[in-house]
Amino acid sequence: MKTLYILGCLLPLLFSCSSSESDYQDIALNVNIPANFPPMVYDVSVNPPTQKGFELGRKLFYDGRLSSDGLVSCAFCHIQENAFTHHGHTVSHGVDNRVGTRNSPAIQNLAYQNVYMWDGATSHLDLQPLIPLTSEVEMNGDLTAIVPMMKGDSAYKKLFEAAFPGQDITVETMLKALSQFMVMMVSSDSKFDKYRRNEAGGNLTEQELEGYSLFNQNCASCHATDLMTDNSFRNNGLAVNPLVNDTGRYKVTGNDADRYKFKVPSLRNVALTAPYMHDGRFGSLEAVLNHYANGISDSPTLDPLLKRHGTMGIPLTADEKMAIVAFLNTLTDTDFVTNTLYSYHD
Amino acid sequence: MNIKHTLTVLVMALLTLTGCNNDDDAVKDTSGTGYLDVEFDNAFAGNDLILGAQPNTTSQNEVLNISLVKYIVSNIVLTKADGSTFTYPKSQSYFLVNEANAESQMLHLTNVPAGDYTKITFGIGVDKQQFEQGADGQGDFLAVAQAEDMLWSWSAGYKFLAFEGTFTSPTVTADTPFMVHTGQIGSNYNYAEVTLNNPTPALVRTSIKPVIHVVTDVSKFIDGTNKISLSENNAMGMGAMIMGGELLPLITANLNGAFKVDHVHND
Repeated sequence: MKTLYILGCLLPLLFSCSSSESDYQDIALNVNIPANFPPMVYDVSVNPPTQKGFELGRKLFYDGRLSSDGLVSCAFCHIQENAFTHHGHTVSHGVDNRVGTRNSPAIQNLAYQNVYMWDGATSHLDLQPLIPLTSEVEMNGDLTAIVPMMKGDSAYKKLFEAAFPGQDITVETMLKALSQFMVMMVSSDSKFDKYRRNEAGGNLTEQELEGYSLFNQNCASCHATDLMTDNSFRNNGLAVNPLVNDTGRYKVTGNDADRYKFKVPSLRNVALTAPYMHDGRFGSLEAVLNHYANGISDSPTLDPLLKRHGTMGIPLTADEKMAIVAFLNTLTDTDFVTNTLYSYHD
Repeated sequence: MNIKHTLTVLVMALLTLTGCNNDDDAVKDTSGTGYLDVEFDNAFAGNDLILGAQPNTTSQNEVLNISLVKYIVSNIVLTKADGSTFTYPKSQSYFLVNEANAESQMLHLTNVPAGDYTKITFGIGVDKQQFEQGADGQGDFLAVAQAEDMLWSWSAGYKFLAFEGTFTSPTVTADTPFMVHTGQIGSNYNYAEVTLNNPTPALVRTSIKPVIHVVTDVSKFIDGTNKISLSENNAMGMGAMIMGGELLPLITANLNGAFKVDHVHND
């Protein structure tokens, strides 16, 4: 009893201590896996997300100084209101207005994926930022200049010391911080999620339910699980743009069977991430469904699921298309795209 | 019987004894740790490699004018005569050797346990285990690699070996560029592990820093157990660009025969 009393007196002291030191103290973050998600892929035991690590990753994400012209931060092409895609841009422009060949993908739930980029160029989340960071047409960043920049910045110094105590500021800790930020960017509270977990606000309309049923019959073989992707690479019948001739996955594997295959994207927040496909060629969800219904181009690597029983594509009536679009709109997670935790902080 | 004679002999004996004792003591004291240097000396088939100038002929009669040789050396392991090994701390064991940069050709190892090392093992490239660990353990090596243009931007991966220049041959009479870049491509990881015997042991002591002088015969990259013809890979006459596909594992296999320890200094 006496021990409890003493502890009880001490507790308020602990609270007051931690609030004044909160600037310098790092706290582990709870990494919750939503009940309807598949298992997490990223190994958080090697790089456990913490409060300061998250803030550091966020600061880096919004920092244009990582690019060669001081302007193109990650956030330049990954804008929160569009579920961290580049609204309205087929492909993005990087430093000096240089233009790439691929559409900016969404940053959400990346800890649950095992391969990144439209062609799967990297399989580890830590290394993914290197691709846009060092690409000449995107951020054109120089790692040898970035490290001294961070070492000379007092805000970075404080964050690095809190997030990685006793360690030097290196490319390694920079990438780990970005991973911690991205691991915590979880979108799991759309109307669809609430429906799946039987939570309040999860009542789908009849049309949405019909759309979900059609989706399961026609789309979920590739857009599988509640994350709407099976992380595989497929040729979905897009006509090849001869000017670009983007062979997709083939560039990474050198395997002829992989020509013109691209990663199946997650459809979460898809109503916010137009335009669609690896080169952003479709401006609306309706256009995407029209492509699947009537617009498939045959080719040696066309996915067999789009060539079943002698029919090309996925036949859909106008009503069916509307129902599917209604369903896809339930994948929008307003909390995720408005949560200031993921926004720019001074 | 001459005192002077005896004294001289005594003094000489003393000097010899003390001299010998110092060296013997140093060699005998196998406690503590010391330094070890590994020098990578690039050569072409028995001749010194001179970038950009000297013509070098392969067994396939291709004449190479080499402008660039760079490779990543990693995961150094030292072995003693009794078979026991010392593995250099992994996160410090990544080096980038560049023929154009003399300093980069001397690898300085520190805190090596004293001992007689008869073999050295190293990797060419970044090993798969490290690659699959993401950023963990990389320190600033990514920055070093990017600065040397040994980082593939499109795949966030390293080039393990870069070998470039121009060539001519009986069938390619104009100077034509060639570039060989190895690394992880598709399903081939292309990392090579090389084990070499030291002709005399490297004696690491607190007061002795040995230098293991490795000679790299760059001709073996394409003219080793596997013979790769640049002329046959000169697509449309635009150059022999070998940066992927089935030739990389063949070149990687050649790496085992490209290195040898020429000699060891122990001072």
